[in-house]
Amino acid sequence: MDYTYPSVFFSYFLFFLFLGGGIFFCVRSWKRGYWGPDQEKAKYHVFEEGEISQWPQK
Amino acid sequence: MEEQQVIESTPSGVRTATTTVHTDATCKWFLISSVSYFFIVGIIAVTIAAKFVWPELLGTVSILTYGRLRPLHVNGMLFGWLLACDMGLTYYIIPRLCGVKLWSEKLGLATAALWNVIILGAVVELLAGHTQGLEYAELPTWLDVLVVIAWVMFGTNIIMTVANRKYEQMYVSIWYTMGTILWTAFVYITGNFATMFTTGVNQANLNWMYVHNAVGLIFTPVGLAIAYYFIPRASNAPLHSHKLSMIGFWSLAFVYVWTGAHHMLHGPISQWLQTIAIAFSVMLLIPVWSVVYNFFATMKGQWYQVRDNVSLKFLMSGVVFYLLTCFQGPMHSLRTVNAIVSKTDWIPGHAHMALLGCFSFFAIAGTYHVLPRIFNTKLYSDTLANWSYWFFMIGGLGFFVTLWLGGFWQGWQWNNPSIPFIDTVIALKPIWLVRFFSGIIMFCGITAFLYNFMATILNAKENKA
Repeated sequence: MDYTYPSVFFSYFLFFLFLGGGIFFCVRSWKRGYWGPDQEKAKYHVFEEGEISQWPQK
Repeated sequence: MEEQQVIESTPSGVRTATTTVHTDATCKWFLISSVSYFFIVGIIAVTIAAKFVWPELLGTVSILTYGRLRPLHVNGMLFGWLLACDMGLTYYIIPRLCGVKLWSEKLGLATAALWNVIILGAVVELLAGHTQGLEYAELPTWLDVLVVIAWVMFGTNIIMTVANRKYEQMYVSIWYTMGTILWTAFVYITGNFATMFTTGVNQANLNWMYVHNAVGLIFTPVGLAIAYYFIPRASNAPLHSHKLSMIGFWSLAFVYVWTGAHHMLHGPISQWLQTIAIAFSVMLLIPVWSVVYNFFATMKGQWYQVRDNVSLKFLMSGVVFYLLTCFQGPMHSLRTVNAIVSKTDWIPGHAHMALLGCFSFFAIAGTYHVLPRIFNTKLYSDTLANWSYWFFMIGGLGFFVTLWLGGFWQGWQWNNPSIPFIDTVIALKPIWLVRFFSGIIMFCGITAFLYNFMATILNAKENKA
């Protein structure tokens, strides 16, 4: 059994799937404000949460 | 109690009113296993480095031959140490960036247990000589299936945590982590399963796509996710530009996957495919320089902290190694340079600078940063941590630089048909001797790191922070 052509078609499928996914999420990130006036807000999330871990008190 | 009150000044000027309580049990188990494997596989690394200099070492005992130990070293370091440590740190970072608890700590612990089964299974199978015989894809199929299952468990837990996040916008580390989850699935399945249905050149092409993207689309995005979190956190300075980080992410996403064929330049694949691989390899400079500029700009005015902060030492040295390794990559993808360095010792020098000098430095930095915090204690010894840094740095530089020079030397010799091949092997013996002693120094770094790590955990109860 020669899998060359099925593998080529599968590669085309993956290529367009990932390209489509990439373009979709890239455009969506534009709409969600990652490139707009609020673009720098997310970087402060790093400091929002405490770092120490603890077991929840019952 | 799911949340607690805290008063904390932050670079955003916000005094956080409530913070989520994180238990970090999964993170702890991943870190404990990965650091242990780092030490064990480090012994294998030094042994095979010694075999370059003294090939008769350990005689003909089959399980101790180079052919058995080398795949164990590669897979042990990639999956037992680095990816496991990166996963452990991801379990720490993502819930904090999302402002919620990890979706399922039980699923996380089950993933940690399964990951250990995989690594221990790999040790047995690879020492027994059971391998698929493909670079980076040596694990037998049943272990590949378990890796896929473990990855689905990991991905589900992280994606569900992100889906429940408190903030709408996602910090760049979350983007890179989500990218890692998606790309690893694609890259791993292609490299370990699709290769079974192809032969000859097609199989080699797929395999090199996998090998290159194991670094570029697995370890790079997860490593950058870690660096993007810990550089601002360890320096207490906000990232220079989130917008620039987005440019880096999307350019990496669109560029990286096409570069694998540069491993087959001058080989029996189409010229157009080789040219595409070269063009995309050179384009890698876009994401790399955007990332590195962002990190350096974040550190503006903060460099004094590097002197006393061991995590920052590892992080910023890792950034420099990232810049260097990603300058080497595009340059040795050019046909003229590739004609000299391809298949020589230059390549392990380059690969070790990426995986050890850059991404392992990020992982070690993250581990040093989170360790006292997740065990609510103090680091056992700051001095020992500094020693581990210098061992890694001096041993690593000795290793990288020696192999680059040796690789060029080897390549020039190979390009001269009047030199018998065996003479080119003998000529490299001094290079391999330096490689061995550099390996010993790096192993001292691993030992110091492991000792400090374990001593911190064992003394956690007495040394409450």
